Amino acid sequence: MSAQGGVQYSKIAEIKGPLVIVDGVESVAFDELVEIQTTDGQRRLGKVLEVGNRKAIVQVFEGTTGLSVSGTSAKFVGKVMEMPVSEQVLGRVFDGLGRPIDGLPDPIAEKFIDINGAPMNPEQREYPRDFIQTGVSVIDGMLTLVRGQKLPIFSGSGMSHNILAAQIARQAAVVGTSDEFAVVFAAIGVQYSEAEYFRRSLEESGALKRSVLFLNLADDPAIERIITPRVALTVAEYLAYDLGMHVLVILTDMTNYAEALREISAAREEVPGRKGYPGYLYTDLSTIYERAGRLRDKKGSVTQMPILTMPSDDITHPIPDLTGYITEGQIVLGRDLFRQGVYPPVNILMSLSRIMKDGIGEGRTRGDHQEISNQNYDAYSRAQEVRALAGIVGKAGLTGVDLKYLEVGDGFEKEFLTQGVDENRTIEETLGLQWKVVSLLPKNELTKVKDKFIDQYYKER
Amino acid sequence: MVAKGRIVWVSGPAVKADGMSDAKMYETVSVGDAKLIGEVIRLTGDVAFIQVYESTSGLKPGEPVVGTGNPLSVLLGPGIIGQIYDGIQRPLKDLAEKSGSFIGRGITTTPVDMNKKYKFTPKVKVGDTVQPGSIIGSVQETDLIEHGIMVPPDHAGGKITKIVSEGTYDLETELATTDNGKTPIKMYHYWPVRKPRPYKSRYDPTIPLLTGQRVIDTFFPIAKGGTGSIPGAFGTGKTVTLHQIAKWADSQVVVYIGCGERGNEMTEVLVEFPHLKDPRTGKPLMDRTVLVANTSNMPVAAREASIYTGVTIAEYYRDMGKDVVLVADSTSRWAEALREMSGRLEEMPAEEGYPSYLASRLAEFYERAGRVRAQGSPDRDGSVTLIGAVSPSGGDFTEPVTTHTMRFIKTFWALDAKLAYSRHYPSINWMNSYSGYLADIGKWWGDNVSKDWFELRREAYGILQREDTLKEIVRLLGPEALPDEEKLILEVARMVKIGILQQNSFDDVDTYCSPQKQFKLLTLLVDFYRKGQAALREGASLADIRAMPVIATLLKARMEVKEDELAKLDALSSTIESEFKNISGVKVSA
Amino acid sequence: MGVDSALERTVEKILQNTEQQIVSSLKEALKSSQATLANSQATLEQEHDKILAEGKKEAEKLEKQIIGNADLDSRNKQLLLVEESIEKVFEKAIAKLQSAERGSDYSKLISSLLQESIDTIGTSEIIIQTNSKDKSVVQSLLSKFSGATLSSDAIECLGGIRVQSKDGTMKFDNTIDARLDRLKPLIRKDIASKFGR
Repeated sequence: MSAQGGVQYSKIAEIKGPLVIVDGVESVAFDELVEIQTTDGQRRLGKVLEVGNRKAIVQVFEGTTGLSVSGTSAKFVGKVMEMPVSEQVLGRVFDGLGRPIDGLPDPIAEKFIDINGAPMNPEQREYPRDFIQTGVSVIDGMLTLVRGQKLPIFSGSGMSHNILAAQIARQAAVVGTSDEFAVVFAAIGVQYSEAEYFRRSLEESGALKRSVLFLNLADDPAIERIITPRVALTVAEYLAYDLGMHVLVILTDMTNYAEALREISAAREEVPGRKGYPGYLYTDLSTIYERAGRLRDKKGSVTQMPILTMPSDDITHPIPDLTGYITEGQIVLGRDLFRQGVYPPVNILMSLSRIMKDGIGEGRTRGDHQEISNQNYDAYSRAQEVRALAGIVGKAGLTGVDLKYLEVGDGFEKEFLTQGVDENRTIEETLGLQWKVVSLLPKNELTKVKDKFIDQYYKER
Repeated sequence: MVAKGRIVWVSGPAVKADGMSDAKMYETVSVGDAKLIGEVIRLTGDVAFIQVYESTSGLKPGEPVVGTGNPLSVLLGPGIIGQIYDGIQRPLKDLAEKSGSFIGRGITTTPVDMNKKYKFTPKVKVGDTVQPGSIIGSVQETDLIEHGIMVPPDHAGGKITKIVSEGTYDLETELATTDNGKTPIKMYHYWPVRKPRPYKSRYDPTIPLLTGQRVIDTFFPIAKGGTGSIPGAFGTGKTVTLHQIAKWADSQVVVYIGCGERGNEMTEVLVEFPHLKDPRTGKPLMDRTVLVANTSNMPVAAREASIYTGVTIAEYYRDMGKDVVLVADSTSRWAEALREMSGRLEEMPAEEGYPSYLASRLAEFYERAGRVRAQGSPDRDGSVTLIGAVSPSGGDFTEPVTTHTMRFIKTFWALDAKLAYSRHYPSINWMNSYSGYLADIGKWWGDNVSKDWFELRREAYGILQREDTLKEIVRLLGPEALPDEEKLILEVARMVKIGILQQNSFDDVDTYCSPQKQFKLLTLLVDFYRKGQAALREGASLADIRAMPVIATLLKARMEVKEDELAKLDALSSTIESEFKNISGVKVSA
Repeated sequence: MGVDSALERTVEKILQNTEQQIVSSLKEALKSSQATLANSQATLEQEHDKILAEGKKEAEKLEKQIIGNADLDSRNKQLLLVEESIEKVFEKAIAKLQSAERGSDYSKLISSLLQESIDTIGTSEIIIQTNSKDKSVVQSLLSKFSGATLSSDAIECLGGIRVQSKDGTMKFDNTIDARLDRLKPLIRKDIASKFGR
């Protein structure tokens, strides 16, 4: 950063949605940071989306409400947007653009980092392998989270995703290390009460001092949401790769992010892809999600847990769909389970953790982990089929084995899945419960588990 | 004349420059003060549209654009195998050395180590006549790859006037000269990626590409030199299946293109492949693999190029007489890159915003597959098998990329979210998938495994088809509505699904299944079915059949019986026989 | 022996039996109550331990919470203190700049600010604004910059100049204030490090 300031232009050609088009510009760079000044001296930030033929299209993060063609000027700052970072950001609360809102001064920066980040070189990545114990059975047992993974929660409006995310943030631990752990929380267009729930949850567990909060609330400017996850991840990367911490990043709600992106695309009159979302939504989302990971020769890690509410609970909607193609699995919450009062209401059949296989097994969790998990999936999936069948032909029409599967379905939901909000289970307890569930079945039904494990752990009930 | 112009407009990866009347279509250019790499994709008057392969953040109108005079090309020579490249053949290892853990900009590298010395064995002598494509000698590139040094296809060939003797040389050494060719022949040459490499003639695909995956090899096979597509919603296990093919396919070279996909998946290949042994040679799989990685968050224009970079490398090894498998994950992300560039150029969009030339680009790509007789001497046959993943939005197979792809491929492995949700992996749906190579490669199975193969496969597939119809009745009326012989079909179909179609890629034994083991497992289950139906006819009860202990053993055989213990499967056959005999009051006639 | 004695014996026997029964049941009761007592003591102890353990868990949680939050509070107070000191340094610097002598060095500074402004804005057809103190310095330099005119309106600033193109569409703020503002985030780190942070 130099002391050189930018030129301020006052010839505004057009204001359109969140965009301001500045005319007669010289030497403006693509992606450059812009300071918009109103007649009454108010300052707003923006960036250059397109430049050419002496015109620059500027996207204004804080919206264009109240701007006029005559009274507005735009200052091109000569650099891309940067976030000041230092260890002092821990325990701090920022707005959606990374400015402090906790009454404390700007953090004294060790460095200023481009919020867009640079793509991680795949050759330099360390493959994620360290099991994170969340204390939540369904996750540890069947959807294992691994350091450096990106594992989203797909939810629907009103469901308990934030409670689950907060429980994970409080309990997450890597068994057997004393490495430093941090939480970066980015609220993207969520209600005050949800953000406050999260903050309090961190405070009550004493974790606030190793957390950083970025809040863009429901009544904050929508376009700012484009920036919020990026400043949050910039800080997370600094904590991870410069300070060697293990960082869990929670981004909620990515649906609001995608909607802000759609607004900009519509204002630019771009050819839309599905449901009006821009064709580059996938690429854009990937520049956020792919910032999770581990690096060779670096101690820290960035683990991401983005949360998104699926419009009308529809998993084929472009936002969950494209997210699922980028992330390493997904935890899907089920409306039915939620209505029945099950917590956490995870629909395991639609859920998946891709990296699980590499974070579990002998020497990490236990040798039978993968197989007993597969068997539970298989049994629960079969139970769902039998339930559907029982709905048609009645219980009387079921065979003996089918009835056993009905019991497994109930046992799975009541004994294994259901868990207290403050209940922190060890991996041993979780695996024990998984064996307990399938022990409702006769031995010869266990086709996914090797005989040696059956001999060791199976106890017919 | 080298084009020299100035940037007039920047929007993401698209740049316009004027003063470019000397530029040629698809010429590579250096863009801006940062010397970013770009390619001319449209010329209008003296204005060139350029797609830039690196982030354009900070680029300004007025900065210079300079042509290179050359189209986007790859370097072909020893040192490619085992590498991981970005979309324009820059080794990611070198990028890391120059810019650290995150990818910087404006970095130039050479695709292979030009100073590395290889032991060259000449195969021709002074006075011999060579044609374009002829092999003049060879070097050992890796333990697995004998690398033929060819007269470049665009070289005139002619009589050898000079050739070095056997010895170690680096890549720049002039190995040979001819009386026609102006340029001496070195260990490497360049080839433009968008131009298919020539060959002498093409064969019908009659040899299966064996992947060690039962549902593929036995039910929906692909031929060497064939084309296949694997579409599926997220979470259906596309990548795992592709990794399995890359690991176990019986080809000499594998080109794996990570095109707009996850970074960790490429890392996984990099971490895993050096430790995995090729089941046929016992050597590390990395010794036959090339990776092209342009992950989703890397510049979108280079994603477009990555497919061509990969297929050109594949054709090069084909020309040496090798069987090459190219796996592209995912062609949908490549199509999206096309769409993004097309949108920036304000072209008229066709369906879902994709450019109207999407179909022709897909056709051109898949047309580069084939089993061929290579140019030049000596005679050699090689193949490029193309397998492309498709990521249909919302899992909807009627979207443009899937529908267009289906027009140009012959094997279709339809992944099914429902199967994946019930953890049936690989989640290849046996009712929606098809293979156009079945008849062509049947002869190979007959000659090499068993003449019964075709019939057995047909019978097993028939059981699955019957089950599919019966399932409808069960859904409406419950299983008790069916007669016993139909209930047995359901039972055996379940056994085929668990015992054959499902395959655990993370199980040391199950991950790879030889054609012999596939055939034996198939034989056992069909045999069980035949005996079961016979037993029912003779009055045995279905409950007794269901209670047979051998069933659990049959279902686990894929995991419990190792490749070197296949005799155990033959023994199972007699267990089936005796257990059927034990069902009271029944005489079994097989 | 009459009926009576037989009766007596029977009665005695019954009494004896009853007594034995009573004694044994008493003994039994005693034993069981002892057992119950012992038992309940164990349960009680367990309960006690459980309550203690839970209390301990709760206490640990509370401790973590209190210590964590106290740590944070003291850190935040420190941040405010450092910030106060930084502000003081800046105030001093500003006072010094305000009273700075407008000598030949200062004239050189203004001249370079002018040149930089013209380069940035891309035209030499400019109007210059400055404060009343620096007007004469700027005036004396005008001859070196053809096309530049000095605005008669004075602006509020510590020093330096503000420049705009003659059509008014481009402005460039090169006052000492603006430069200080831009430098502030960088200087803060240096100042803070002097406070041993």
